[in-house]
Amino acid sequence: MRLALTMLWRDWRGGELRLLAWSVVIAVAAVTSVAWLAERVAGATEARAADLLAADRAVETTEPLPEAWVKRAREHGLETGRTAVFPSVVINGERTQLVSVKAVTPGYPLRGKLRTRARPSGDERVTTEVPEIGRVWVAARLLTVLDLAVGDTIELGDSALKIARVISVEPDRGGFVDNIAPRVMMNQADLAATGLIGEGSRVRYKLLLAGEQERLVAFTQQLRSEQGNRVEIETPTGDRPGVSEVVSKARRFLGLAALLTVVVAGVAVLLTVRHYAERQTTGVAVMRALGATRRRLTQLFIGKLLWLGVIAGMLGSVLGFALHLVMLWFVADLLGDALPAPGLTPLATGWLTAIAALLGFALPTLIRLRDVPPMRVLRRSLGQGLFRGLTPVLVAAGVVLALMAWQARDWWLTLIVFAAVAATLVVLAAVAAGVVAGLRWLTRASGKRLLWFTGLTRRPWTAVIQIVAVGIGLMSLFLLGVVRGDLLETWRDRIPDDAPNQFLVNIQPDQLDGVRSLLADDGIDAEFRPMARARLTGLNGEAISADDYRDSEARDLLTREFNLSWAEAPRTGNEVVTGNWWSGDDPAPQISLEEGFAERLGFEVGDTLTFAVAGREITAEVTNLRSVQWDSFKVNFFVLVSPGTLDDMPMTYLTSFYLPPERDALIAELVEDYPSVTPVDVAAILRTVRTIMDQGVRVVELMSLLTLVAGMLVLMAALQITGERRRFETALLRALGATGKRVRRLLRYELLLIGALAGLMSATIATIAGVFAADLLFDLHYPWRPWILLAGTVTGMATVWSAGTWAARAYYRVSPMTLLRQGHD
Amino acid sequence: MNDSSTPALQAEALSMHFSSPQGTIRLLASLELSIAAGESVAILGTSGSGKSTLLGLLAGLDLPTSGRVSLAGYDMTAMGEDERAQLRAGRVGFVFQAFHLLPGLTALENVMLPGELAGSDGVRAAATQALERVGLGARAGHYPAQLSGGEQQRAAMARAIVSQPSVLFADEPTGNLDHATGGYVIDQLFEMNRIDGMTLVLVTHDPTLAARCQRVLQLEDGVLVASAP
Repeated sequence: MRLALTMLWRDWRGGELRLLAWSVVIAVAAVTSVAWLAERVAGATEARAADLLAADRAVETTEPLPEAWVKRAREHGLETGRTAVFPSVVINGERTQLVSVKAVTPGYPLRGKLRTRARPSGDERVTTEVPEIGRVWVAARLLTVLDLAVGDTIELGDSALKIARVISVEPDRGGFVDNIAPRVMMNQADLAATGLIGEGSRVRYKLLLAGEQERLVAFTQQLRSEQGNRVEIETPTGDRPGVSEVVSKARRFLGLAALLTVVVAGVAVLLTVRHYAERQTTGVAVMRALGATRRRLTQLFIGKLLWLGVIAGMLGSVLGFALHLVMLWFVADLLGDALPAPGLTPLATGWLTAIAALLGFALPTLIRLRDVPPMRVLRRSLGQGLFRGLTPVLVAAGVVLALMAWQARDWWLTLIVFAAVAATLVVLAAVAAGVVAGLRWLTRASGKRLLWFTGLTRRPWTAVIQIVAVGIGLMSLFLLGVVRGDLLETWRDRIPDDAPNQFLVNIQPDQLDGVRSLLADDGIDAEFRPMARARLTGLNGEAISADDYRDSEARDLLTREFNLSWAEAPRTGNEVVTGNWWSGDDPAPQISLEEGFAERLGFEVGDTLTFAVAGREITAEVTNLRSVQWDSFKVNFFVLVSPGTLDDMPMTYLTSFYLPPERDALIAELVEDYPSVTPVDVAAILRTVRTIMDQGVRVVELMSLLTLVAGMLVLMAALQITGERRRFETALLRALGATGKRVRRLLRYELLLIGALAGLMSATIATIAGVFAADLLFDLHYPWRPWILLAGTVTGMATVWSAGTWAARAYYRVSPMTLLRQGHD
Repeated sequence: MNDSSTPALQAEALSMHFSSPQGTIRLLASLELSIAAGESVAILGTSGSGKSTLLGLLAGLDLPTSGRVSLAGYDMTAMGEDERAQLRAGRVGFVFQAFHLLPGLTALENVMLPGELAGSDGVRAAATQALERVGLGARAGHYPAQLSGGEQQRAAMARAIVSQPSVLFADEPTGNLDHATGGYVIDQLFEMNRIDGMTLVLVTHDPTLAARCQRVLQLEDGVLVASAP
């Protein structure tokens, strides 16, 4: 191993393995940055499964928790705590902010740690207390948004409460939601006085439980058998989609994106190692003549690669660590400050990737060197063609497949992604090969050698490889940078300027006229829709529960309450696609379902559904399915029932309308008068969602940039392969009288042409992908703008020209005399 | 097997045939050769006569179509490639027309290579000594590209003798050198043969150079014919 290290050092010093090493470094950096990011984000969310509940188990209901339940739980020997969570609004002057209020009892949280600060920038400390009576603790974001400080008083419904501390970590809350509705935590003893809790309010009450497993199970099963679907039992490991699932999906997506970098870097490894091996042939023949056995040579090559893997793996991991810090900085807002310390596992991942890349991409070629006949020292023609054949490419493809499976942890997804990557490469390669062939034909047909094209036509295969590698990197950048932005713009353009931007929910029937006239005074003619909170309990006479479904969104629909409304006729933006809308004279209760909702739950026209509404049951037949244009921002419902079905049920009303930005004060006024009405600023939520998306996209863009760097390495590798021939050609041209300037111009033409083709092709493919995505996924019309192709071409030219000129500078700086003396061997 | 009476090199009924589109080419035909330890032998022949092929077979770099080659009494034709490599290690040195120095290694590192591959101790000291012996001590840190042709061939000679082999094979050692430089290199080769008792097998097409050897053999039509020294 020591000799292998010595030889590796000599190779490095001679500049032989630099591109190979850098390719591995980039591949490792891509994989480890994702590994560290995923590990720490996951650590901050899903690893705290028990903490996420703030209890060992929780019972959730939409009715206030009967005191008897608490008493019974204590009799079972369980610790208890209670929370009530509901949306509300905090006002400061004319500014309002939607918040999520959580009223807690002493003892909260039963599991996990609540951390607070005295000031937003103060020291964090773990607390076992809850807010005192008359005080609230708030998320730092609320202070920023409403320009408040600790010590200020906020109005919450009818109560004035003083801000006492800032919450930094709350166990049972994922970080993502905070951006939309920051937390306000209060003592449950203050709750009644706020006047925010009324019939039909959107409150989720939770009974938190901690204690021995058997007792927990006994108590919750007893409660379940008594209350049925009216209570929801939550377990820490339970079926809680949401944050952990988002993190896991993001990890898989980023992991696969990182592998794109590995694939492109792998091409650079394949190219450089072949070039390296060809240059080593005579040296190895000499070694064999001097007595080195094949076994000894094999040990040496593997030893060299292992050392290279260790060193490049280390460097790549350092780079990956730095990159993950940048990525974390991009998404800092989403994560809060509960990040665990970085672990060492990604380091192992990095080394494994380095070793896998080298053994997979480099060894199959390098190992053939041991078959160099020693007679080559006397006859140079021997041992040629040793590196031909497809084996290294096939082995490399196998390694890529294995790495993908490792990242995706799902064979089906692996095969799809592998096929997609392979197809993209094939399409890019086919188009590039076609263009190069066309240029060759053009130069022949024109009867003279077109100076511009000779660089490409003399080395068609290296040109194709260069175009494909650079093209892949550029394509992912264009897709993320340009096409994504265009899609968003197109979508936004489709929303009319006066589309509703404000929702008012939780309007009690006795408030309806007051709210209506308040809005009318401002010239707003809003339509109010009735609504009841309901839980789906039966299908065709049989009980239905989340356990009947595997799909996480379907399970979610069955465990949560959702909104039920009634209508006489289909509203604007609603179109019956199956079945018939009810007629006024049919007294039987009927149901209309949104088609996506029906599809997810597998419901069809003719099915009978049972809902629980405020302790009563409604059973009705599904008579039609509707398509709904959700992005009209009008009030719409998954489930509508025929008039009369909801009579005598507790109802609240909701409405949506367009409020010009300069009349924001109306909301503050409305909340003053009707504290239990919750306004939801859709525009603000959309802005926040957009910010979150942008932050996520920046992480992926960074990954694409790495792919582009890997593409540049392929470009350089291809230049290196042709370097010897370039030196010789340059020497010859210069000896024949061409000036250095002229020779450099030829290179410039070649690079600009490669860049232009790579840029044009990737911009075209990205645009086509945009058109398909717009049409098939989002039902939009993607704007075809030629400037994107132009911009792509120019970007490609600039990137390839700058990197290529730098990489090839050595081949054009040597005097013709030296070159001729060295020959082109 | 390796006493003083054993020839350093022996070829018995050595034949080498090649297939070509024009039919079978018989390069060597039942060739016989015995070279005593410490002897210097020149093999003369025209281009394409099979000189290099014979040298390769004698050094165990290749296997004959039929016949036997023994190095220090060991029958190499009965061995596999790796066994022959092990036999060559430390016993055989080479000087090639094209020098074959590894371009990424300094002169000293090139000379250290055989010892490093064999895993020997004191490799650096031995290599430094070998370089000093050929008059290149001062240029040990130079890369092949920084050395003249003559210097490169001297570095190659240092590499050939560093493990003190019993047989030194030289293939047109002056082919790429001018007359004066070539003369200096050849003087050193013969000095090693004389002082160290190294057996020297020299392949050349230059009769004057061949004449300096104790025995001159002419390769004609696949067999060796003794020629006046």
